[in-house]
Amino acid sequence: MLRSEKRSLIRFLILYLGSTFILFSIASWLFYISSKHHLLDQQREAVKYEAEHIKSQLRILHQSNAAKLVYPNHTHIQSAIYDLDKTYIFGTFKIKQPLDINKYDNRLYHILKIEPYYLGAAYLMVAKDINDEPIEKLQDHILLFMSGAGIFFTILGYFLGKLFIAPMRDAMEKMNHFIQDTTHELNTPISTILTNIEMIETFGKHEENSTELKRIEIASKTLSRIYDDLTYLNLNHKYHRNIVNLNMSTLVEERMVYFSAMAEAKGVKVIVNTDPDIRLQIDKNDAIRLVDNLISNAIKYNRSKGTLDVTLREDLFSVKDTGIGIGSKDLSTILQRFKRANKSEGGFGIGLDIVNQVVSSYGFVLEINSKEGEGTEVSVKWEK
Amino acid sequence: MGKIVVTLGVLTLFLHAGELSTQGYSFKNTCLSCHQQQQIPSALIYKRYLMKYSTDKRMEQAMFTYMKDPKKENSIMPAPFFLKFPMKEKLLLDDEVLHENIRAYLKKFNMKKRLILEDRSEK
Repeated sequence: MLRSEKRSLIRFLILYLGSTFILFSIASWLFYISSKHHLLDQQREAVKYEAEHIKSQLRILHQSNAAKLVYPNHTHIQSAIYDLDKTYIFGTFKIKQPLDINKYDNRLYHILKIEPYYLGAAYLMVAKDINDEPIEKLQDHILLFMSGAGIFFTILGYFLGKLFIAPMRDAMEKMNHFIQDTTHELNTPISTILTNIEMIETFGKHEENSTELKRIEIASKTLSRIYDDLTYLNLNHKYHRNIVNLNMSTLVEERMVYFSAMAEAKGVKVIVNTDPDIRLQIDKNDAIRLVDNLISNAIKYNRSKGTLDVTLREDLFSVKDTGIGIGSKDLSTILQRFKRANKSEGGFGIGLDIVNQVVSSYGFVLEINSKEGEGTEVSVKWEK
Repeated sequence: MGKIVVTLGVLTLFLHAGELSTQGYSFKNTCLSCHQQQQIPSALIYKRYLMKYSTDKRMEQAMFTYMKDPKKENSIMPAPFFLKFPMKEKLLLDDEVLHENIRAYLKKFNMKKRLILEDRSEK
């Protein structure tokens, strides 16, 4: 799966599952509240029934002439009787206080008015602990339903997402195939041109400092680099990296020679500060793409007769130009593929995307400091 | 030994005499003697008052009103009761004494104090 395809699918799933989850949560919450009320009402009814039962027992007690009157005491139920002034008469509550419903805890309470006042009781208060078992069962059922719905909608969302991004995937695959075919077709003529220029330069069948030949060389190298970049992007997701202990100092120097003609043509003064024998655990092709793209950008977007500072130290590689710079609003999006802050120069806008991919793959840190009209400094930092 | 017996005897006599003079004696002579003689079911009357007035204070007030002015409207008994039994005569007791006697009556027949709790039984 392509990176952009995966990103689109994840975004779709987040949106789809998020909205579904919110909707189901609200519905489940409403259902839970209503069912809980219903369950509590059922328990309240049971308490009311108990109160009526105790009342009838009080009537019998009132008629009794026994020396001891045994107060009705039921398991799981507590009760007490209060006189007309709401003063506690007798009961099974631990706290013997006047009748005041607001003072009690969150058990189920029912107050029954008694008339006539058997045993002098005008009020009977019955209390029962809330039975949490059916409420917990309800919660479990709702959780189970939510989990089931979550799994179902995730699977459904995944297939729907795949279905929706299928056209995009087709288009991208077609474009990739096109790039692949084009680059393949470009490879042979570019190689031929470069080899022949080298032969002309080696065997001296040319005038010294021939401008035309230099131009052909620059153009061919530019083409060759674009070919390499496109191939890298196309193969990136299935590319096997061969990590070696690479001498970055040598590599940077080699690449500076490679770009010397291009810099010379633009009149750019190149200042190279490379510490000797700087080594890095990196794939050679990745390193070349990283260095090439930063240097070629710095030459391309530099002003004529500007300066190019290339620095390589133990923990960083930086390229600083004196070119057009990047506007602050473009800085946040400049790393995206096909993004070009300035269209005055040619290119596809894939250079910094490749740099960013390499940096991300190795856990390096990329820093871009730029001032519009003054220049840009791009630094890649790594741990020593 | 003889002195101790005499002392205890005197003490008992004093205590008993005190009780009779404050409530018991007066209540027994003023109310109960007549009630018992006429076979008036005092406990049942207490229950009727309790059922209607709930608190001792209200019961005391209702009894006091009836004693001071015995008539059907002030009585706890239903109207047909007086077809069979004559209306009680007005009591000429001092208000304070009457209150004391009523309180003694309420105390004697108090049902609330007879209430007890037994072990919880499975319903």
